[in-house]
Amino acid sequence: MKPKRIEVLDENEIDQIHHATLTVLEKTGINVNEEQARNILRKNGATVDDAKKRVWIPRSLLEDNVKKAPSEFIMHARDPKLNLKIDLDTTYLEPMVGRLNILDASTGKRRRTTLKDLEHLMKVANAMPNFHLLHSGAMMPHIEGIQDSVAHVHGYFTAIKNAQKVVKGTGRGTSKAEDCMRMAAVLAGGKEELRKNAWVFTTCNTISPLQLDKPQVEGIIVYARYGQPVDITAEVQSGGTAPVTLAGALVVQNCEVLTGILIAQLVNPGTPVFYGTCGGIMDMRMADISLGCVESGLINIASAQLAHHYKIPCRGTAATTESKALDMQAGYDKALTLMMAAQGGVNTIFYPGVMDHALTISLESYVIDNEIAGMVFRALRGIEVDEEHLAVDIINKVGPIGHFLNQKHTMQYLLKEHYMPTISDRRLREDWEKDGSKELKDVAKERVQKILKEHTPMELDKDKEKELRAIIKEVEKREKV
Amino acid sequence: MSHDKLVEDVRQAILNYDSEGAVKAAKDAISQKADPLKVLDAASEGIKIMGEKFHAQEIFLPQLTLAADAMVAVEKLVEENLPKGKLSHKKKIVFGTIEGDLHDIGKNIVSAMLTGAGFEVHDIGKDVPVATFIEKAKELQADIIGVSALMTTTMDGQRKLIEELKKTNMRKKFKVLIGGGCTTKEWAKKIGADGYGRDAKAAVDIAMKTVGVKA
Repeated sequence: MKPKRIEVLDENEIDQIHHATLTVLEKTGINVNEEQARNILRKNGATVDDAKKRVWIPRSLLEDNVKKAPSEFIMHARDPKLNLKIDLDTTYLEPMVGRLNILDASTGKRRRTTLKDLEHLMKVANAMPNFHLLHSGAMMPHIEGIQDSVAHVHGYFTAIKNAQKVVKGTGRGTSKAEDCMRMAAVLAGGKEELRKNAWVFTTCNTISPLQLDKPQVEGIIVYARYGQPVDITAEVQSGGTAPVTLAGALVVQNCEVLTGILIAQLVNPGTPVFYGTCGGIMDMRMADISLGCVESGLINIASAQLAHHYKIPCRGTAATTESKALDMQAGYDKALTLMMAAQGGVNTIFYPGVMDHALTISLESYVIDNEIAGMVFRALRGIEVDEEHLAVDIINKVGPIGHFLNQKHTMQYLLKEHYMPTISDRRLREDWEKDGSKELKDVAKERVQKILKEHTPMELDKDKEKELRAIIKEVEKREKV
Repeated sequence: MSHDKLVEDVRQAILNYDSEGAVKAAKDAISQKADPLKVLDAASEGIKIMGEKFHAQEIFLPQLTLAADAMVAVEKLVEENLPKGKLSHKKKIVFGTIEGDLHDIGKNIVSAMLTGAGFEVHDIGKDVPVATFIEKAKELQADIIGVSALMTTTMDGQRKLIEELKKTNMRKKFKVLIGGGCTTKEWAKKIGADGYGRDAKAAVDIAMKTVGVKA
């Protein structure tokens, strides 16, 4: 059977979190720092104080509209074979791409991420079989060597050109979000086509506690108008920006995420959304966030349960670490959080590839996290039991003392039953020594170089490339580059 | 069909780790008057390639084992179709797992690989006492004694075998090669073995080197 999901909340506890959420939103309300959204909310029955930017949301308004979010939708990729059906059952991985810093494997130090780095990041992410939808440079406030006001179009273009998978755009402010819509429309074959299908998606991060910021809400509005998916994601830090109790942190998260989803549904009912979490803790020894922590694993599982309670796909955050090196801490942080999120039933798991408080991206981490993901996906498939898998005939044929190596059954099921590692070393010591006693980070470095040399992403249609480049030129002109 | 094509089918069947296919192809070739020794050479070439592929992690152990089975089946067929003694120029190996040890999967694979490499392999099984190894080697006038051990509790049998050969003044008569999961190059050196094979491919390489056969 397929393994049962891990649950950390029972039905009654989910209900308690839901009702606590409704109470906070009715009694204290939530700040929505964007006027259009406040007007839409007011028009639909919310109490609004514009001076305070505060909105009090009646429970029926929230419950009636959250219901309108779809449980399933298709996300389109440049390569149609890589289109994704998002639902409540499937788990996909979304590696982080655009970070301010990159770990330079040649020096072991971090430096600012350039457009060339983004090209490499997209290529390697494109080549990883366990990565399905890709973050991109579109989300970066700063790309080294590029004027900040046009970073999003360069980041998005580099992503589209170097990957054929589903790619993320930006929703940080109306103008940037509209630029992404123009570019995504080129992929879709026009704005009308774009409105019919999801070709780009974005993240809207709330600002905990209980605040939705202006550029992020503008993003929700633009994406909703075009019917493009948004993951509305709270980044609660238990103890800092939310109660130290994880149940309390989940209430704060739920208030923020459901408000974002409500806005999206009021703008355009049926807008595809993800219920998102990027929840972790504040490490009280130094007042820094930790995401590569076991509590984050628990928050991911609870978030999947809450999302599915609302019949909405869940976006989680895992396979991340606060470690500065690709060491054992990075390994256990990433493996532990990813396994928990996946077994909890999170539908898209964001963050593989990242380290160092999510401030640094690493190409080498891609191949390592892809390996962890391979093992996790194997775990999710569980153990199949039927006549063929019980193999009684084969056991009787081989009998005592024999072996199963030369049975056709062995080869027939080998790659379905065993996960075949891509970079993990399982050789005996002397073979490993003969091969240079390489540690994982060295093997990963070699693998990255091999992929960069050998992997060719699907070519971008020449006419579309021309159109996209023309949009970049226009945006550059507008932004006086 | 040309003899070349028929013989090529045998090689292909080994590469496809297809025992039935290999035997069928070999039967076809021999019935059409292809030279049985050429059939055997083709099969040997196939298993040699499979050994290399396994070493390079291009194929997995079950594929190598199935190919080795196919090789052994072809060899049996070829032998039946040759005048007795035609293959006697081959170097002989007495090969087994030492007393107390029931692990023989690795030994079986090496056995098939050595057959593929052109050795006359006398596989005397597992849990074999030192005396039996020596008797058999004497009887067959073997070139090599191959001793496998998987466990640290049984590997000492490899040392005992060499000591016994020394005691009875027969150490120079046979080359002794060792292998098995718990053994190492250092261990082989320590007990005075003539060679050590880490895996199937290495075992074949060292066996060939030891008796001066070119790969």
